[in-house]
Amino acid sequence: MARFTDLFWKALIFTLVVFLLGVFLGFALERNRIGEIEDEFQKIDLQWNDAKLQTLYYQNLQPRFCDSAIKENLEFSDRIYEEGLKIEDYDRASFLTTDLEHEKRKYALLKVEFWLNSIVLKEKCGADYVNLVYFFANDPEFEIEAEQDTQAEILKDLKEKHGKKLMLIPLPIDLDISMINIMKETYDITITPTLLINEKTKLEGLQSFDTVSDFIKNGKM
Amino acid sequence: MEFITGVYLFFIFVSLYSVFLVLLIYLRNRHNLYFEKQAVKFYDISVVIPAYNKEDSLLQTVNAVKNLDYPQDKIEIIVVDDGSKDRTAEIAMNIEGIRFFKKGYNSGKSDTVNFGIKNAKGEIIAIIDADSYPEKDSFKKMIGYFDNPETGAVTASCFVRSTGKLIEKLQAIEYFLIAFGRKILDFVDSVYVTPGSLSMYRKKLLNEVGGFDTNNITEDIEIAWNILKNKYKNRMCLSAKVYTDVPDNLRKWWRQRLRWNIGGFQTVHKYRDSFFKKSLNMFGLFVVPRFFISHILSITGFFVFVYVFGREILQKTMYWIFSAQNGNTVLEVPKLLLTPSVFTFFVMILFAFTIVFTYVGLKTMNKANLGFKAGFTILFYLLFYLILYPLVLLHSLYLLTTGNFKW
Repeated sequence: MARFTDLFWKALIFTLVVFLLGVFLGFALERNRIGEIEDEFQKIDLQWNDAKLQTLYYQNLQPRFCDSAIKENLEFSDRIYEEGLKIEDYDRASFLTTDLEHEKRKYALLKVEFWLNSIVLKEKCGADYVNLVYFFANDPEFEIEAEQDTQAEILKDLKEKHGKKLMLIPLPIDLDISMINIMKETYDITITPTLLINEKTKLEGLQSFDTVSDFIKNGKM
Repeated sequence: MEFITGVYLFFIFVSLYSVFLVLLIYLRNRHNLYFEKQAVKFYDISVVIPAYNKEDSLLQTVNAVKNLDYPQDKIEIIVVDDGSKDRTAEIAMNIEGIRFFKKGYNSGKSDTVNFGIKNAKGEIIAIIDADSYPEKDSFKKMIGYFDNPETGAVTASCFVRSTGKLIEKLQAIEYFLIAFGRKILDFVDSVYVTPGSLSMYRKKLLNEVGGFDTNNITEDIEIAWNILKNKYKNRMCLSAKVYTDVPDNLRKWWRQRLRWNIGGFQTVHKYRDSFFKKSLNMFGLFVVPRFFISHILSITGFFVFVYVFGREILQKTMYWIFSAQNGNTVLEVPKLLLTPSVFTFFVMILFAFTIVFTYVGLKTMNKANLGFKAGFTILFYLLFYLILYPLVLLHSLYLLTTGNFKW
C-alpha cells in the first residue's frame, strides 16, 4: 500500500481542487444571476414608481389622461410577467444558493402592488381589461404541480389570445408574505391552482381554456 | 441546499476521485502497459478445462491449447465433464493427448475445476473455459510472472471472438476496456478477478486456500479475492490474449450479468470482514471498499435516476392528460433547461473523462482490430449499453434478497 499512497493522496487533491472549483463556479454563476435579477428589479421598481405616480396623478388631478396610465400599467404587466419567467428559469438552475427566494418575495410583493393599482385604475378610469390573478404554490404536491403546469400554459395561451384585455398576475401563495396571506384570507384561497377574475369570481382547481376564455369575453363575473 | 443536491454532489465527488486515480495510475505506468516478464524457466502447467454442454467449442479449445507456443512436454491437458447433457463427453473421449475425466453428475464449475486440480500434476494450473481460445504465445507471456514468489495468479486480456451482432460488438468494446482497466488496477496490486477464459494459478496456493469456493457462482472473482487476502498478488498480462464466445442475445447476456453481479455480492458478503482492514493492504483498503462502494453507488444512483426521471416522465404524462382534457395544446416542444448550473460543469468534465478513458483504452488495446464500424458502436455503448448496468444490478439484488436464483 505504501508504494501507492502518494497516488491516492494526489487523486484526492486533484479531486478536491476540481470539485471546489466547480462548486465555486456554481456559486459564482448563481450569485451573478441573482445580481442580474436585483439590477432588473431596481429598473423595474423605477418604472413601477413612475406608473404608480401616474395612476395617482391621473386619478386625482387629471382623469382625462387615464388612457396613458392604463397603457403604462399594461406595459408594466408584460415586463413583470417576463421577469417572472426568467426568475422561474433561474430558480430551476439554482442548487447552491437560497438568495433567489428573497428575490422571488420582492417580485411577489411588487405583483401585489401592481394588482392593487390595476384595481384602482379599473375603478377610477373605467379600464376594460380583466384582472386575472393566478394563485399557485412554489412547492406543491406531485399532482398539483402537474395541474399548475397545465394551468400556467393555458393562461399563457389566453394571454396571447386576449392580449391587452387581460391583466395576468401570477401570485405564489407559499412565500410567507403577510400581504399575500391577507389576500388569501380575503378571497379564501385554500388550494392551488385558483383563479380570481376581477376580484369577484373564484375558480378553484384546473380550469380549461374555454371556461376562462368565456369569463374574459363575456364578462361573466 | 436540498438533500438531493447533496446526493448529486457526493456522487460527483466519488466519480471524480475514481477518474483522477485511474488517470494518475495510467500516466505513471503508461510505458509499462505491455511489459512482459521473461520467464526464467518453463514451469509444468496443467491446463484444466471444465466443460458443461460444450460440444460445439470444446475441440477448438483443446486444439488452441495444443497449438500453444510452449514446450508441449510441459503441458498437461485435463478436460473434466460436468455431467453434460449433450455430446461433450463423447467428443472429449475421442481427443488424443488429453486426460479426460467424466464426473457423471453436474455440480457446477467450481467443483469441476477443483476436481481437475486434484488430478493435476503441474506446478501451475491454467484454467480455460471450454469456449475460450488462447493465442499461441499467451502462456509464454504469462508464465514469467510466476518467477516472483509473491505472484499467486496471472490473467490475460480476454477478447470477444465473434463480433457479427451488435450485442457482440458492444461486448467487444466492453472487454477491451475491461482488460485495460484491469491492467490499470494491476499497477496498484488490485486485480480483483481472474477470469475463467484464461487464468493461471500457483497450485500450491490453490491447495493452501482450499481451491475454488463451490458456494460462489463467480468462482473467478472469489478465488482472486482469496488470493489477495492471503497476501499474494494477482497479475494481469495485457499482451497475452485469449478469445472467448460471448452471449449473442440480450436474454443470455442479462443472465450472464445477473450471475456476475450475484457472485459479486456473494463475494463481498464473504469478505466483509476485510473491509478497511489495514493489515490486508490493498485488498482491505482498496479492493473490498471499492467494490462495496461502487455497488452501493450504482444502486443508489439507479434509485435517484428513477426518482428524478420517473417523476419528470409521470408529471409530463399528467400534464399531457390534463392539457388534453382542458383544451390546451398537447403536442408542444418540451421545455429544455438551457440555463447552466453547477452540474453542467461537472457533467461536462465527467463525460469528457469517460470519452478520454474510452479512447485511450481502445487505443491501448489496438482499436484497429475491432473490425467493425467502431464509431457508431462506441457511441451506442456509451449512451445506451452502460445504462443497462444498474438495471441488471437491481435485478440481481432482487434475486439475491428473494433467494430466487439458480445456476
